Amino acid sequence: MKPLKQIWQTFAGTRVGRSIFRVGLPESNLGRMQAMVSSFVLHMHPAKVHRHSLKFSYTLGLGLISLYLFLILCITGVALMFFYVPSPEHAYNDMKDLEFVVSAGMIARNMHRWSAHLMVLCVFLHMCRVFFTGGYKPPREFNWTVGVGLFVLTLGLSFTGYLLPWDQLAFWAITVGTNIAGYAPVVGKKIQFVLLGGNIVGESSLLRFYVLHVILLPAVAVFLIALHLWRVRKDGGLSRPGEPDVLVQQSETGQLSTSKTYGLMELARGTSPAVGLKPEDEVPAWPHLVFRELLLFLATMAVVMFMSVFWNAPLEGLANPTHPPNPAKAPWYFLGLQELTAYSAFWGGVAVPALLVTALVALPYLDRKRAGVGVWFARERRVAVTIFTICVVAAVVLTVIGTYFRGPNWGWVWPWAASAVTPH
Amino acid sequence: MNKGHSAPAPPATTRVPQPGNGSSRRGFIWLTFGWLASLFALAASGFATVRSLVPNVLYEPSRRFKAGRPTDYPDDTATFIEEVRLFVVRKGNTYRAMSGICPHLGCTVNPAAGKYPFLCPCHGSHFDPNGAVVSGPSPRGLTWHAVSLSKDGRLVIDMDLAVTHDKNLAL
Repeated sequence: MKPLKQIWQTFAGTRVGRSIFRVGLPESNLGRMQAMVSSFVLHMHPAKVHRHSLKFSYTLGLGLISLYLFLILCITGVALMFFYVPSPEHAYNDMKDLEFVVSAGMIARNMHRWSAHLMVLCVFLHMCRVFFTGGYKPPREFNWTVGVGLFVLTLGLSFTGYLLPWDQLAFWAITVGTNIAGYAPVVGKKIQFVLLGGNIVGESSLLRFYVLHVILLPAVAVFLIALHLWRVRKDGGLSRPGEPDVLVQQSETGQLSTSKTYGLMELARGTSPAVGLKPEDEVPAWPHLVFRELLLFLATMAVVMFMSVFWNAPLEGLANPTHPPNPAKAPWYFLGLQELTAYSAFWGGVAVPALLVTALVALPYLDRKRAGVGVWFARERRVAVTIFTICVVAAVVLTVIGTYFRGPNWGWVWPWAASAVTPH
Repeated sequence: MNKGHSAPAPPATTRVPQPGNGSSRRGFIWLTFGWLASLFALAASGFATVRSLVPNVLYEPSRRFKAGRPTDYPDDTATFIEEVRLFVVRKGNTYRAMSGICPHLGCTVNPAAGKYPFLCPCHGSHFDPNGAVVSGPSPRGLTWHAVSLSKDGRLVIDMDLAVTHDKNLAL
């Protein structure tokens, strides 16, 4: 460790080193804060961070894990693009090539597939975490709606990626999925037609889904993620119990104070920012936050790697438009909806998803009381927590039923029965 | 231009109306025109972008196609034509064509062994011999398509033309 540090310090002390890093390896708290403010990579962090925000038991690291998974997805996705042609003639063969011809190709594809599934899961859990700790309450209402947008976008990214392998699973999952979209009133059929570029899943659908998947949706996601992180900072960091009300009042008057007395980043939003902030509860972000983040990244990477080495992403036979598998299932995160469409296409395809998204967006503007913020399952929020829990449990139960308990002809099967279909 | 202004009015020769200052009639017209033109340009390019994504030509199997000769289909059965997912139903010398695509979520219905002849594997919709829904989530029955005869004596099925189940081609 020591020689490494010496090499680093020698380099940071040279002309070139100083021009790159501005401040050397920090030796004092002042240096630590300068490091955060002067480095491009680190500047999105606050210089100091509240101890409560560092607690793993509060955040479970879910937001960061989602971000890391997105980064892994971008990198593995670009790697996969070198070997993939989005046309019905090539797509499926390219999948086979990735498995049998390209060195480490299968690992890249596995990492991409498992990270995608994990990201859907983590983004959902992150939303649950923010709800159960009251993190959407003022002044963080808008950031919650940005988060809802990111959740929908995550589903969209995963869904568009699902078609690309052009196997039976992909083809019929997208057929079922886009037919669900077709039930939207008035514009449903039109949206389905434009999304597919035709009446059936075909050549143009594959190209459209590819473009959406590799550039359009990721570009929107990058923008929304940046906005989401920026707002976390501007809204005063993570929610925590006993936050100073100055942050809230500021956002309610709708204008930023111009008589700021000092400019230590966004900690200082009002004229008397220090009141109630208890600086003794804060620690420098370097090393306390930065090293936790690195650790979490390593953990995320380890889990994804482990999964990718031991489990291969599924690939069924070449897409056959005339023979659906029995049962034909949508991607697992839409199986709750598909289960509902088995009772009523309107409720599963239109009403329930529309109501859910509307309710999520409206939530922070309806539930404005700032009680129980920063605490898991606060007693003051019993009603809200109960309602949300019921919705989450219903969604999970429906998804589990659709995934594990539905067999041929959408009939009921026990997952341990011989006729059960292996889920993907 | 404001008559109540205390500052001396500028000489008449310099009173060129500035577009966009909103204080003269000409400026107002220019401003309105400018905004309308910009909005129109924006709306038109937005519309063009969206419109370009609606395909004008489809490279899909033709929706109107020639099937086999009438004698190719055994009497009193529903023969499935795989490529177009469609049943040709023959009864004596009458021919009808029924879509095999479930109107619910687009799966292909299978001839079933049970009480009702058609069953969708995805969500278990049952259809009777006329394609009507007997049970299950399908919002409508299976679609019947128009059948005609070509000059060379083959059945022509038009999948863009929906007909009622009792409409048939009698030979």
